[in-house]
Amino acid sequence: MAEREMLCGKCGCPLEPRRVDFEYLGHVFFADAPRCPKCGEVYLSEELVRGRVAEVEMELENK
Amino acid sequence: MNGRRTASVCPVCLRRVPAKRVRRGGAWVLEKTCPEHGDFSAVVWRGSEDIDSWTGALPEYGAEEGLRCPEGCGLCDRHLRKSCCVLLEVTGRCNLRCRFCFADGGSGGDPDGELLRARIDDIVKKAGAPLLQLSGGEPTLRDDLPELAAHAKRAGCSFVQVNTNGLRLAADPGYVRALAEAGTDIVFLQFDGVRDDIYETLRGRPLLRVKEAAIEACAKNGIGVTLVPTLVPGVNTDQIGALVRYAAAHTPAVRGVHFQPVSWFGRVPSPPKDKDRYTLGELIDALVEQTGGAITRESLIPSACDHPLCGLHGEYIALPGGRLEPLTKRGEAAESCCGARDSAERNRNYIGKRWSGAGDACCCDDADPHSLDGFLLWKRAHGFTVSAMAFQDAGNLDVERLRRCSLHVCRDGRLLPFCAAYLTGYAP
Repeated sequence: MAEREMLCGKCGCPLEPRRVDFEYLGHVFFADAPRCPKCGEVYLSEELVRGRVAEVEMELENK
Repeated sequence: MNGRRTASVCPVCLRRVPAKRVRRGGAWVLEKTCPEHGDFSAVVWRGSEDIDSWTGALPEYGAEEGLRCPEGCGLCDRHLRKSCCVLLEVTGRCNLRCRFCFADGGSGGDPDGELLRARIDDIVKKAGAPLLQLSGGEPTLRDDLPELAAHAKRAGCSFVQVNTNGLRLAADPGYVRALAEAGTDIVFLQFDGVRDDIYETLRGRPLLRVKEAAIEACAKNGIGVTLVPTLVPGVNTDQIGALVRYAAAHTPAVRGVHFQPVSWFGRVPSPPKDKDRYTLGELIDALVEQTGGAITRESLIPSACDHPLCGLHGEYIALPGGRLEPLTKRGEAAESCCGARDSAERNRNYIGKRWSGAGDACCCDDADPHSLDGFLLWKRAHGFTVSAMAFQDAGNLDVERLRRCSLHVCRDGRLLPFCAAYLTGYAP
């Protein structure tokens, strides 16, 4: 099944894959995520948040 | 009384005496008087780091009424920390005669394996699922050390660590394999510098090649190695930067450096003067200066579990060209670990995970360490920790610090704070 195009909930524009910067505990990371070219809204998938973002958070947690 | 009130011991007769921490000539010293043996003082902090900023505001809980530390140790209901790590001495024998040794090894026999397995079960019962340190003497002189490690894992220890000089690991690949198969997670490798003359001075013979062979053997078998230098003024305090660079260059085999400023218990040549001591304050300055700023001051964090004057740590990624990416930042650390629920577990999981073998860390040279994926690759392959623990001896023992100790030694079935377990008096 082909992937369906994702649309921005606010603008209705098709989201485009873009580099997105994250900040956590003073560190900045980037990843590719779908972003609205008009309003800049970013879609973070559950897979990304529960996966790599959570892994990075765990690596940065202090004791 | 001026200064910060606490309690200590007479360094000669070890009786408990009142003490205070005061500033003298740019340093902080612990002063005390024994009614029988007179006045004593020992430096506890020197350097550019402000001691009050480093420790934060703490109550004077070394001066509370009714304490029986250290003569009343094992752990009592006045002790402020649970067991993060527990050390078990599995032999009194050693194959080196070091100038400095907290365990005063070299003689004595081995406890029976059955007895040690029962001790391990008892430790797990008392301390939950600790990081268990198999120590000595030199623990690798026991042929059944792998069996003890396997028993500890079966009994529920979260991590098993072997504290060793590395001689047998360098010479006996089958033994290292057996330790790995038994589940040994961490080797704490005595590693005092990157020059042979340092080993000749401290350990009686050149050992650098032996240490490197031990690291290789552990790497081949997936056991994480943490380098453990004993820092002795005038011998190897100029090696601090070199040790950090060595560790960074040998990731992922080497997982960290754990500095231990010399403490004067066990076998020591003579009672120490202040020039013979090295404080955490001086170590902080040296880490920054000797790495040319690659270790940043702000990346070094005081221990929140043990007392801030007892420990520090920082975490880094070793990048190409000798650059270090600091991952820790002072002021952004979690609050006190052992004071919180499940905090002992949290502390041991932090250090255990970081000191254990890196697993299948693959090459990551093409990955950008600031991308999510690249960071995870780099962290796993080239992450390492810099940490330190300043043990206390009869000269500088501070009950305030002792009450927060989370490294406990199993002695005759009791759990003792490390510095109470190894406390020895000086000759008058």
